Amino acid sequence: MDPSEVEFLAEKEMVTIVPNFSLDKIYLIGGDLGPFNPGLPVAVPVWLAINLKQRQKCRIIPPEWMDVEKLEEIREQERKEETFTPIPNPYYMELTKLLLNHASDNIPKADEIRTLVKDTWDTRIAKLRLSADSFVSQQEAHARLDNLTLMEINTIGTFLTDSLNHMYKLRTNLQPGKETGKSQDF
Amino acid sequence: MTTQSYLPVPPGVGMEENFLSLDDILLSQEKLPTRTECVFPRLGFVEKTSDTRDIPEGTKMEMPLWLSKGLYDNKRRLVSVEQPKIYRQGWRTVFSADPNVVDLHKMGPYYYGLGSQLLHFDSPENPEIAQTVLQTYIGRFRRIMDSSQNAYNEDTSALVERLDVLERSLFRTGQAGLNDFQRWEKGQASQITASNLVQNYKKRKFPDLEA
Repeated sequence: MDPSEVEFLAEKEMVTIVPNFSLDKIYLIGGDLGPFNPGLPVAVPVWLAINLKQRQKCRIIPPEWMDVEKLEEIREQERKEETFTPIPNPYYMELTKLLLNHASDNIPKADEIRTLVKDTWDTRIAKLRLSADSFVSQQEAHARLDNLTLMEINTIGTFLTDSLNHMYKLRTNLQPGKETGKSQDF
Repeated sequence: MTTQSYLPVPPGVGMEENFLSLDDILLSQEKLPTRTECVFPRLGFVEKTSDTRDIPEGTKMEMPLWLSKGLYDNKRRLVSVEQPKIYRQGWRTVFSADPNVVDLHKMGPYYYGLGSQLLHFDSPENPEIAQTVLQTYIGRFRRIMDSSQNAYNEDTSALVERLDVLERSLFRTGQAGLNDFQRWEKGQASQITASNLVQNYKKRKFPDLEA
């Protein structure tokens, strides 16, 4: 998968905005988006929020997990635990990037938030690599990792599956007594 | 999108080879020390060192892998293959001591491929060879992963020069994953760029087409 594809999937998440225009309820295939009144908060998907923000028609309210203290707690917990901690939103990386790029004026302490999310990401990726390394060095047949997000899986996915394929094929060399494949008789 | 314009046929890892894979074709060019077990009449010109008309029995020659594989047969003894020295006991102990130290590119750039192909020629040391190849791979995996996932926008030639061909393709995959992520994070993922297949084309002017 491409990171852009993962970002596309992330844009379905809902976020709260405060519009400055009014519009009746709109009926889309994915669901209804309820009437827009100036000054009243309404929940919309991220793709719509970004679009409205770019046209200066709304103000985005940051999700409740996008807060300096909360993210610091998450980061500390991530550093203490050896396994992956559950994070508030399965698309935290993509949402951070999107919201901070387009709506940084609506989000207090945007730079600190960016740093904190990056730190958490680095810690989780490091744990993922450690786990992949122990997987290969102990030649396990399968492993289970909870609380991983799609973006993390996607970054390391191809590399891991390729190397495990190679290892598997090299392992089948160890079994004696299999057919040696095609041979020609003259 | 990361799909390439053409997908090369990957090499067959392990004891098979992919007929259409360029990597496997290059692998089969590797020379193996062999010993002929019977006379090859009137082929003396192949063996430049001796001036005889036929190749007598018991000559030691270097044959490429494709030829040795074709001629090797358990029932009709035409050639016997000796293992190249990196698969022998001495080097095997070096690999089991520390696989990270060895320069696998210098030791024949197709260490894993050739090692797997050697298992076709039955020899009592086959299980140990297979085991050593596997353990070397596992030992070096950590370093490949770390170096490929952490070297962004740097010159990677120093990291890559001690890897063999299989490890290099893994390194490239790791780098591709990393580069994609970094590009996305910088926001360059949605920029449209010319495909690298057409970048060298120059615009043709209409009068040129007519001429």
